[in-house]
Amino acid sequence: MLSICPYFHVHQPYRVKRYRVFDIGNDSEYFNDQGAGDLNNQWIIDKVAHKSYRPMIATLQHLLDEHPEFRFSLSFSGTVLDQFADYAPDVLEGFQKLVSSGRVEVLADTYHHSLAFFYSLPEFERQVDLHEQRVKSLFGYQPQVFRNTELSYRNDLAKWCDEHGYVGIMAEGWEPVLGWRSPNYVYKPVGTDNIKLLLKNYKLSDDIAFRFGNRAWESYPLSAETYAEWVHSHHGAGQTINLFMDFETFGEHQWEDTGIFGFMSSLPGILLQHPDFTFRTATETCAAHMPADEVDVPSVLTWADTDRDLTAWVGNDIQRDAIAATYRLEDDIMKLDDPAVTETWRKLQTSDHFYYMCTKWFNDGDVHAYFSPYQSPYDAYIAFMNALSDLQLRVQQALQQRAAVDLPVIQVGRVPWWRRLIDWAQALFTKFFNRYATFFQKNYQENR
Amino acid sequence: MRILTFGWDYPPKRNGGLGVACYGLTRELLNEGVDVVYVLPRRQPVDGDGTFIFADDTPGQTVYEVPVTIEPYQPSYGQVYVTDVYGNKYPTGSTLLDEVQKFAAAAKDIAEREQFDLIHAHDWTSYLAGLAAKAVSGKPLIVHVHATSFDQAASDNVDPAMFAVEQQGFAGADVVVTVSEYTKHILITKHGVDPAKIEVIHNGADTYDPPQHQRTLTSYTDQGYKIVLYHGRITIQKGVDYFVRAAKRVLAVEPKTIFVISGWGDMQQQIIDLVGELGLSEHVIFAGALWEEERDRMYQSADLVVMPSVSEPFGLIPFEALQNGTPTLISKQSGVGEVMPHVLKADFWDIEEIANQIVAALRYPVLNQQLILEGRRTLHFLSWSFVAKKVKRLYERLVQYLT
Repeated sequence: MLSICPYFHVHQPYRVKRYRVFDIGNDSEYFNDQGAGDLNNQWIIDKVAHKSYRPMIATLQHLLDEHPEFRFSLSFSGTVLDQFADYAPDVLEGFQKLVSSGRVEVLADTYHHSLAFFYSLPEFERQVDLHEQRVKSLFGYQPQVFRNTELSYRNDLAKWCDEHGYVGIMAEGWEPVLGWRSPNYVYKPVGTDNIKLLLKNYKLSDDIAFRFGNRAWESYPLSAETYAEWVHSHHGAGQTINLFMDFETFGEHQWEDTGIFGFMSSLPGILLQHPDFTFRTATETCAAHMPADEVDVPSVLTWADTDRDLTAWVGNDIQRDAIAATYRLEDDIMKLDDPAVTETWRKLQTSDHFYYMCTKWFNDGDVHAYFSPYQSPYDAYIAFMNALSDLQLRVQQALQQRAAVDLPVIQVGRVPWWRRLIDWAQALFTKFFNRYATFFQKNYQENR
Repeated sequence: MRILTFGWDYPPKRNGGLGVACYGLTRELLNEGVDVVYVLPRRQPVDGDGTFIFADDTPGQTVYEVPVTIEPYQPSYGQVYVTDVYGNKYPTGSTLLDEVQKFAAAAKDIAEREQFDLIHAHDWTSYLAGLAAKAVSGKPLIVHVHATSFDQAASDNVDPAMFAVEQQGFAGADVVVTVSEYTKHILITKHGVDPAKIEVIHNGADTYDPPQHQRTLTSYTDQGYKIVLYHGRITIQKGVDYFVRAAKRVLAVEPKTIFVISGWGDMQQQIIDLVGELGLSEHVIFAGALWEEERDRMYQSADLVVMPSVSEPFGLIPFEALQNGTPTLISKQSGVGEVMPHVLKADFWDIEEIANQIVAALRYPVLNQQLILEGRRTLHFLSWSFVAKKVKRLYERLVQYLT
């Protein structure tokens, strides 16, 4: 029996508005663009909910009702869940209903869709914890299979997941890494004990995710029957076909007029006509098969473009500078321990910010290949760095203020009592002065 | 293939981008084996160690001398001056339009004497000459648009005589070449030219590495000041006033900044007054017109070059700056951005955004590093030899098609 393991990734970042240098020190809101454009996060959620989330949820719900064998997996970034809660609660309810069928699995992820694993392990662990809590509270579900941001993967990540009790982890089924091996088997990551590795069949996945609406493609227009034939042709030579793609493929990357929803709603039925095919969630796939072999991935593998590495996020100087500057703040942020500030810092870790600064395809003048709400990678970098500078400034100020406010420990011993009294009074004065100053400043700004 | 080319400006005469562009294109066309006959309004004195495009020994190139002299960047009704070897200017009593017509009359004689396959006229001042040559020879005519009356006026309030010459030129030409999509758009919307007749051929860049010079303005930079440079003519088209207003905004957050204005033009007094009015005299330096070594030295000393043009058909400044290792901020109303993405961009009127980007360039050194690195890499694909190949293909197509 060959099983099909579809998995859809749901994510939206908090895009940084055109935050100018003059806003530093005056404006602590970075994500509240109000224009009618691609920097307005609420506007985007509204748009994508209309084009993709709502119709695709309806399609999937219908498929679950119709085919008892239909199963799939979902993963959500915390940043998209928060935005659903704020801007499109009905979408969130739709997803909850899908999951409540018991045939939809939710995967583990980092909360902020970050590359933290490669920059700070403690921060990565904190974000995975946050994500787990959020998934538990929204879906009543304990994630079993891990997928990292942009499907990024490395041996040590698999080892970490193994040690933390996950039954599976996902990665790209990329030939240079696999060699002669097929992505249609379950593998064991090198140096692990129990965890299984699920590899994306990128050819079959990308036929839907990238090529479906491409009129220049030889197989355009792709029918569900043809696609099912391609899938069925793997019969007898594999354990699982892993179809991993963005949820937004349906309706947003491939527009409705390409016929993507019609394709999707008929596909499972046609796939199931073959008696030896069924659907499985990620966890079920891991449980159903023994690993065929070990896979060794010493350097980072992702699902991005033709390089399948991290160069789309940290391939140039401005990207590396921005991400390094972000993680340099970690110690101070942790010391300050202000939940709102920490959350803002984490929102800035979302990988999309660095992707917008990518200049890889920029030389060809092919601006359309460049998927970004900013007019250029340099605009993206400037807005991001200005916002980060403001955050840095706020953290420094807050830490300094706190240092000033902390009363000095009164030393017992040689210091005479009157000296201690003066110190104490001085500290008390500073404390009230600071408090008054803050109060005055606030009032002054409001009045202005 | 022999091309009769009409141009108004040519190095080492120091006027601006037009001469530089004509020079780069002609040099590479000669390398491509195209026989260029370059007609200039007047023989110019040649600098001791310049590139001797005027010298008669340049193979394949004949330079004709027509007894007029003109600076092209002025209104058609402007008084024309003659400059003598001491740099003194004398009024001639005739307007630029008179000179343009004189040039056309001379062009007719030259076209009668010469053998050629094609006519190529650069910039509006040569359009009439090109048309005259076409009238006597019947050969196909290419007019090459380096600027339009709308760019020069920086508004719709254009010089009517210049506009009339343009309309004649575009109507009589077989192909109209523009240096950017931006200019093509102006021709379509403002002049009503048929888009099918327009061919966009972007300008190129010289692939040369200028020598490293001693830095200038070190008395400032030693104290930690950063240098922001404007280089170009001081005219309404170039948006220098926006540069000065942005400077005011930058200084509010980065007081250790010096703004250098290098150039000349009819708006100079106005800009000096504006600097005074905004109280920026201590932070703005007027460097006068800088050329060659002095210009390169200034580029190399600057942290950022700003080209805030209100309307710029192309704009070679970012290329020159990159060759000297300095990044550029250009206005979105500039054609050069179509081929050089590694620049900062803002609308010319958005002073707040110009200032924002200037400060970013001063504060985040990695940004500059990246703009220079990738910009210079891109420059290699924009050389004049690529441009000349495109022009040659156009020549071949026209000659084939019409014979």
